[in-house]
Order: sequence, then structure tokens, then C-alpha cells
Amino acid sequence: MSGLGWGLKSLRRHRLRAVLSVAGIAISAALLLDMVMLSGGIERSFTELLLSRGYQIRLTPKGTLPFDTEATLTGAGRLVEAIRRVPAVAAAGAVLGTSLHARRGDSLVTLFGYGIQPEAQALYTMLSGSDLAPGDSSGVLLSEPASRLLHAAVGDSVTLIGRLDPQVVTERLGRTLKVSGIVRWVYDYRGQPSVGTVLSVMQSLAGQRRDDRASLLTVRAEDDSLAATVAAGLRREFPQLEVNSVADLVRHFKQRLVYFRQLAYILGSMSLVVTVLLIGTLLTINVNERLGEIATLRALGISRRTVIREIMLEGAVLTTVGSIIGIVLGLGTARYLDSILTSFPGLPAAFSFFVPRRDSLATAGIVLLLTGTLAALYPAWLAATSPVAATLRAEAT
Amino acid sequence: MTPLVRQSGRLLVLVTMTLSTRLPAQLPEIAIERRLASELDLAVGDTIRLGPAADSIRFAGVVAAIYEPRSDPAEIAKGEWHLRMHLPDLTRLLGTPDRVDRLSIGLRGGISADSAAARLNRSAYGYRAHSSRVIASESSQTFRVVSRFHRAIAIITIVASAVFLLCIMLLKVEERRLDAAVMRFVGVRRRTIFGALLLEAVLVAALGSLLGTGLAYLAGAATNAYYRRFFDTLLTFSLITPDIIWFSVMLSLVLGAGAGAVAAWRLVHTKPLVLWGRG
Repeated sequence: MSGLGWGLKSLRRHRLRAVLSVAGIAISAALLLDMVMLSGGIERSFTELLLSRGYQIRLTPKGTLPFDTEATLTGAGRLVEAIRRVPAVAAAGAVLGTSLHARRGDSLVTLFGYGIQPEAQALYTMLSGSDLAPGDSSGVLLSEPASRLLHAAVGDSVTLIGRLDPQVVTERLGRTLKVSGIVRWVYDYRGQPSVGTVLSVMQSLAGQRRDDRASLLTVRAEDDSLAATVAAGLRREFPQLEVNSVADLVRHFKQRLVYFRQLAYILGSMSLVVTVLLIGTLLTINVNERLGEIATLRALGISRRTVIREIMLEGAVLTTVGSIIGIVLGLGTARYLDSILTSFPGLPAAFSFFVPRRDSLATAGIVLLLTGTLAALYPAWLAATSPVAATLRAEAT
Repeated sequence: MTPLVRQSGRLLVLVTMTLSTRLPAQLPEIAIERRLASELDLAVGDTIRLGPAADSIRFAGVVAAIYEPRSDPAEIAKGEWHLRMHLPDLTRLLGTPDRVDRLSIGLRGGISADSAAARLNRSAYGYRAHSSRVIASESSQTFRVVSRFHRAIAIITIVASAVFLLCIMLLKVEERRLDAAVMRFVGVRRRTIFGALLLEAVLVAALGSLLGTGLAYLAGAATNAYYRRFFDTLLTFSLITPDIIWFSVMLSLVLGAGAGAVAAWRLVHTKPLVLWGRG
């Protein structure tokens, strides 16, 4: 009989305990997989989000991160022109973010407004209609939630109001624009009503035109491999600005979500400990029950190495079966846990905490298999070193 | 209701600082949070220069106080440093005279904050009134999400622990096969053996619960010590309440006793010779 067959037969002999052990390993495997996905998923998802339009660098007012404060930088046009002249820069654009109002019937609704340069934008993808042309001061782009909120479709007109004056109960800055297209804003949270116009229109609505203000500048290097060099060059050339590459932004973001990564490490380690204890305990008791059989096999000439291999194979079988069930279970629980965490207020809708990827599955699988096999070391050693004659004598009495 | 009996504006602004040795008279006063003072090695009486941007650091102020900010779980991960100034000084610094982000209103006793907010909103243009309760509810959304996540993780952990406990109990009872066989051979009743095995399972579960509670307190203390140091805060991260202990102990006792009972029942209904390994 092969080692695998011997192991399977031994497990079949005690079905209830084998089923319970496999169930325990499956839950531990599911938890481990979820935690592997969580620990790496935040970084991957955020990187993919930042690079979704191919722009690798962000410039913001000194000491700030994009859209983290209401701080703005002045002379956006001049800065963009200067950056576009930097070698290896393929595109650069300015963005202004501000809150706006729009009329709906006799009431006002609050929107988030993006002022963009359509020729170099890193913020949206078109869903329907047409994009704004550079310098198009009569068009506006709406997100789907904004379109629903304003009951406006492509071709309709909407009136955006930049500032309200509570003292004279009037709209200080307003502008009627034609809806050019419906877009998906990459960084919008679920249901966020956002609108976009060319930068100059949004600056006028926000009262930021005079100083040519922008919230951030986005830069695309000619090649991803050049991004770090370009970022370093921009840091030297514009010391008054905060220059962050995608890697820098991911580092900041990871720092803010450090709790989740640490939780992932702790729970992942705990699931491994549970797996080791389950397999170790089960196999130790199995071995103790079968010491007579093992001693007989040894007396017939079966080597210690074969005994060790077979016990470890038994551990591997348990782990493999438990892991396969655990991976299916883990993918299901990951979706549920992701649906909880992605309901964080203000989190981009495209962001995901649990990203199922082949390497996550492989990592969890390999770690579990190694752990399960190593957990069988002690019972295997116990089986291999039991005294043959004394065990057989004890069995016979 | 007395509208606007208390008016304040609290603005957070990014400032860039440089130390200055000059001490002009009547400089605006600034209160600095402890971590920032420690980072910049500032003390009360020092003069600093501030500005809304890196190229406009022109505003001088004197450190009048160093304060310990109230621990706020919403702020700890941001790593932001705060300072406080008198409102006119800050608006002058920002170049936005007489502008504030928000106003706070204190109501006379007996007036509902929600009805006052609704009344203000009916007559409002350009601002929105919220009661403190609504603001607290909105701003605690993040923590409600974290709590839901913790609950989901706790359920998975409880299921894993339950299966682990069942398995261990089953193995523990099955380890007594030979003892049970001997007892059956000498005429001990099944009920007595069942009772003894069940009692043993309950004792093991109780001992495990006791050790587990101690371990939880140690882990909680370690968690608090680590994160308090990590975030430089006095917040409590792990709180073990009597309710949690009660639930955990009861769960492990019930599961332990249940698993022990199942295993003991199987054992006492197995033929003694089979238990002895000769059946």
C-alpha cells in the first residue's frame, strides 16, 4: 500500500475526527487566505486605482496629499507649462476640486466639482456622450449619480452655482452649462454626485480664478520606469510643492490603513497556529493508537524513513483537503468582508480591500501545506522512534 | 433659543514653520499640540513663523501654550499636527477675513436641537444646520464599518474555535478508550462512565476558559501598549468587558460539554472488546 493510501485509510478509520479536523483546517485556511488578500490587497487596489489613467506622479501644495485638505496651489497654468517642458514628461494637467450647488426645482443640491484640463486628465473615463474639448467653457461632465440627482442627460442644460451669499439670499456665482457626457470619476465614492468642467470655469465658480488655483497637478512620465526619476527631478525643480509618485502615495495610504495590515498578520498567524495544533494533535493521537501497527511494520523491515514519510503524508492529505475547501470558503468570506469595508464613507467606489489573485491563493496554499506537513513532524518522530520490541510486547499482553 | 450665543470657528490649516529668534512685542498667540512641540523642539515663549504656503511664510506668532489634544480615533492614523490660534489671527494669516468653516450654537435648556436645526434650515441660504447628534452619527460611520468588520471576523474566529474545541474534546474522550473498556469489564455502569467523561470534558473546558481569559487580558494589554506607543495616543484599542468574558466562557463550556457528551455517548455505546482493541 502506498503512503498516501495508508494515510487515507487511517483517516477513514476515524471519520468524525477526520471530518472535524478538515473542517477546522478549512476555516483556518479560509481565514489565512482572507488575511493574505487583505494584507496585499490594499496596496494593489490603491496602486491600480492611481495608475488607472496612466498618470504616475501627483503634485500638491507642500505637506499635503491629493484632496486631503482644501489647500490649493497658485499659478497652475504656469506650473503645468513648466512641467510639460521637463524631459520624459508625456503629459501634465491641473485639477481643482471644490464643492458646488445646482438647482433642482426650487431647491439646491450640493455637488462635488472637478475643474480639469481635458487634454491631460487622470480622473475619469467616458460612459456616454462626448468628452470636453480643451477650452470648452460651455460644457459639463456629470457622474451617473449627479445625472440622476439633477434629472439631466447628455444635451440637457444645468445651472451650477459656485458661491451663495447668505446675507442677501442670492447666488453670487452661477453658470448654465450643457451636459456633454456622462463619466465615471475614478476617485468618487459610491453614489457621489460629481460634475466636471474645464479648469477655468471651475476656478470662476469657486472664486479661484484670480490666482489660477488648482488642488493638484497630475503628471504622466513617458514610461513607468522613468516615473521615479521624473518625480525626483520635479522635487528639485519645484521645492515649494509636494511631489508624490504612486509608490509614495501608496506608502502614505498604507500608513493610514496600517491597522488592517497588522490585523491581517495577527489573524493569519493565529490561523496557522490553529492548523498546527489541529494537525499535530490529531496525528499524535492517531500515531499513539497505531503504535502496535507501526511496530509490526518496523519488525517486518519497514524503514524509519518510510514511517516518517507516511505520517507526514497523512498531515499533507489533511491539509490539502482542508485547504481546498478553505480556499472556496475564503473567496466567499472575502467578498462579504470586502462589502463591509468598502462601505467606509468617502472611499473610492473602485477600491477593494480583498483582491483575489493567483499569487494570494498560491501563497496561502503553500504556507498552509508547509505548515500542515511540518505539524506532522512530531507525531512522525514519535512513530519512528518508538521501541519495536517493547511496543509489540505491550500490544500482546 | 438664542441664536449664535457662542460663535467659534475651528480651522485646520497646513502651515510651514521656521524658528525665529526675534521677539517683537504683541505677537499673536499660538497653542501647539504636544507632539508638534516635541518634534520641532518648541517651548512656551518661542517665536515661530507661519504661512499658508511654502513661499509665503510671513506671519509671526509666539507659542503661548502647549496642549495635549483630546484622543480622537478618527485622527490617529492621519498623522496630522494641529495648532490653535485666535480666529482673527488665523483668518488674517489665510487672507480670508471674516470667513469660517462652521459656527457652533448653544441652545437654552429645553429646546430640541433637531427642531432648532430644522428651523434654521428653513430660513437658511448658503449654510446647513446640523444637530450635534446628527454630526456624531455621521462622523461615527467609519467606526460602525470597523465594528461590522470586527463582528464578521469574530464570527469566523468563533466558528474556527468551536470546531477546534469539538475536535480536541473528541480526541480527549477517545483517548480514554482503554480506561472505559476496563471500567465496563469490571461492571461499572454506562451512565457512570458517561458522567465521568462528561465531567472531565466540562473541567477541561472550564480550565481552558480560565486560561483563555487570562490570555485575552494579556493580549489586550499588549495590544493597547503597542498601539498607544505606535500612535502616541491614550486611546483604548482593546477592551475586554464582563459581557465578552461571560459570552466566551459560556460558549466554550457549552461547546466543550456538548462535544464531550457526544464523544462519551459514542464511547459507552461501543462494545468493551472493541474499545480494548480485540473486537
